[in-house]
Amino acid sequence: MSPALLASGVLLAPLAAAAVIAFGLRRAPGAATAVALLAAVLVAVGSLVLALGPARDFTASVELLRLGTFGLSLGLKFDDLAALLLAIVGIVGLCVHVFSVGYMREDPDRARYFGGLAIFMFSMLGIVFADSLLMLFIFWELVGFSSWLLINHHFQRTPAAEASKKAFIVNRVGDFGFLLGLVWCQAQFGTTQLDALAKAVDGGAVVAAGLPLLLFCGAVGKSAQLPLHVWLPDAMEGPTPVSALIHAATMVAAGIYLLCRIHFLMVPAALEVILWTGTITALYAALCAVTQRDIKKVLAYSTLSQLGYMVAAFGLGSLKVAHGDHHHLIAAGVGAAMFHLTTHAFFKALLFLGAGSVIHACHHEQDIFKMGGLARRLPVTFTTFTIGVLSLIGMPGLAGFFSKDAILYLAWAKHPGVFAVLALTAVLTAFYMVRLWRITFLGAARGEGAEHAHEGGPALTGPLILLAVLSVIGGYGWFYSGLLGGRFDGVIDSVVHPAGADHTLILLTSVAVLVAGALGAWLLYPAAGEDAVARRAPRLFGLLGGLQASFDRAYGAYVAKVQQRLAMLLNFLEQIFLAGLIVRGLAGVVGLLGLGARALHVGNANAYAYWFLLGLLALWAFAAGLLSF
Amino acid sequence: MIPATLDGHLLVSGALFALGLLGVLLRRNTLVVFMCLELVLVASTVALVAFSRYNGILDGNVFVFFILTVAAAEVAVGLAIIVALFRRRQTVQVDELNSLRN
Repeated sequence: MSPALLASGVLLAPLAAAAVIAFGLRRAPGAATAVALLAAVLVAVGSLVLALGPARDFTASVELLRLGTFGLSLGLKFDDLAALLLAIVGIVGLCVHVFSVGYMREDPDRARYFGGLAIFMFSMLGIVFADSLLMLFIFWELVGFSSWLLINHHFQRTPAAEASKKAFIVNRVGDFGFLLGLVWCQAQFGTTQLDALAKAVDGGAVVAAGLPLLLFCGAVGKSAQLPLHVWLPDAMEGPTPVSALIHAATMVAAGIYLLCRIHFLMVPAALEVILWTGTITALYAALCAVTQRDIKKVLAYSTLSQLGYMVAAFGLGSLKVAHGDHHHLIAAGVGAAMFHLTTHAFFKALLFLGAGSVIHACHHEQDIFKMGGLARRLPVTFTTFTIGVLSLIGMPGLAGFFSKDAILYLAWAKHPGVFAVLALTAVLTAFYMVRLWRITFLGAARGEGAEHAHEGGPALTGPLILLAVLSVIGGYGWFYSGLLGGRFDGVIDSVVHPAGADHTLILLTSVAVLVAGALGAWLLYPAAGEDAVARRAPRLFGLLGGLQASFDRAYGAYVAKVQQRLAMLLNFLEQIFLAGLIVRGLAGVVGLLGLGARALHVGNANAYAYWFLLGLLALWAFAAGLLSF
Repeated sequence: MIPATLDGHLLVSGALFALGLLGVLLRRNTLVVFMCLELVLVASTVALVAFSRYNGILDGNVFVFFILTVAAAEVAVGLAIIVALFRRRQTVQVDELNSLRN
């Protein structure tokens, strides 16, 4: 099978599954589950065959539309970057599908759920394969739609319905910038094909900072960067496996992927903005995570924070590295961001699925202060979750350590200020994760659900074990060069690891921040039924809570005070002018004419004879030239 | 005896036409209205014949034949309608035939 055909098959399999479920299996949850699972297996196998195979840069494209000189074609672009994300989407997608089979077993609407998962997989794969910004944008919107569908799964509950709308609308704000960037791109270069753009920029085309920044707006929305991050914590209203797939491993990665796809358009001024957006998001989200009580919200803010890391890494840009006698530039930002994206996808999917397993075991209790004592009752979940936590906080030897190290080193080499903020974020990361881990799993059971918790079936634990293994080995160089045959070298080679004195410094920093954060959490937070810091330092706690709520409050005020009033004004004008004068007015004039014409219609043949005579006279007058129009 | 001039014929034709038209406008019995309509047609045929004769060509006479044929057909249909109307409504007074109103 040719690679292009295989890639098309991988792309279309979930679409076919979604179509079959939507049109035929809405009332047959068992069959729908089987179809979606089959599609996920096909995607996973196909993705791995493609990603680990030698085929790269094959072309295939279909023209959908031609308007004058503008053509809309859908095509494939498959390089090491796409291969890496493809493998991640395939593996994590399969894990989430398998987990969902166990997690959603009792949900009567799971046919709709699996249909949503399938359409999401299709959209995400479309982003991975896209060869032009326009195609990327199309699938980008599809991802937004499927995310809305899945967050909204329990649409009977108001918070879920509201969260889905919020996610969609906030994403639209970012996407509007993306769309403007797209138009700019088309106007300046006459194309949105990625290869053609790269060639144009290589050929010396000047790029204004506005263009990459507009495209970055899209990434700000999807990857939930400040100030458009508000949708992600709310999106936790969706079923937990969805949070793992969409809001941790793949959809939010699309923003980072977009940045890496257009890295050749970046200019220093744009990179500076991107760098600080990511850095501030990382710190802000870590501060918010500290006060959360909901297990999924902690993980959501942690995701935000890690996404901030990736964006910051990208913003740090390329690095000049001495290689023998000469220096050369390495796209270290892209490498570090994608590397962290990879390891993060593994351990964050693991953490979310672990949280799902905990929630499932505790009968849908999500408040960590009502859990406790789960270490003994859920041994597999506990072990794998612990690995995930350690990987996230950067325990040496686990995947997260390597990728976080690469970012910290890059920051150290390029921008000490950013390095300081990111190191502080790492302290907070260790703090809130250990807090979460200890309160959830250790101590005595503090709730009805936690007392009777027991491990779910192999459908729940299997994916956890696979992801735990990947969270351990996913950071090692030999994993990519040896086990995976060096197929991702295009990306992995641009990850710059510290050497010599820098190596020691970064290692020491990592360990120091890890120990500081973990120790702080261990000392401050006993496994108790209430928040110890909230009790001891209520003002600090309130400050952090206020920080977390500040954006929602500001947006709420803006919508209520400005937007709502503008909408009311427009509605008023619309009522007066459009609906009143134009629509009703026209209808009124026509109605009046009708009224007049109706008066002529007397129903008496005699009267008509007079009218006839009158008409005859008018005709005669016209013919004689007495009337002239 | 008055010589048969064009003006004289047109005068007769005009008088007939005016009579017919007035009948159509003023009479209330459908049958009479119908007959007045025929009078209008005949008035026009008289004018046509006169013009034909005056110009020395036969075009007007040919028209008369057509008009007579069409008028005959029209009378057949029109009278049938009036008979059917009378059977249905027991009247042929124009004033009472106003069901198109409303």
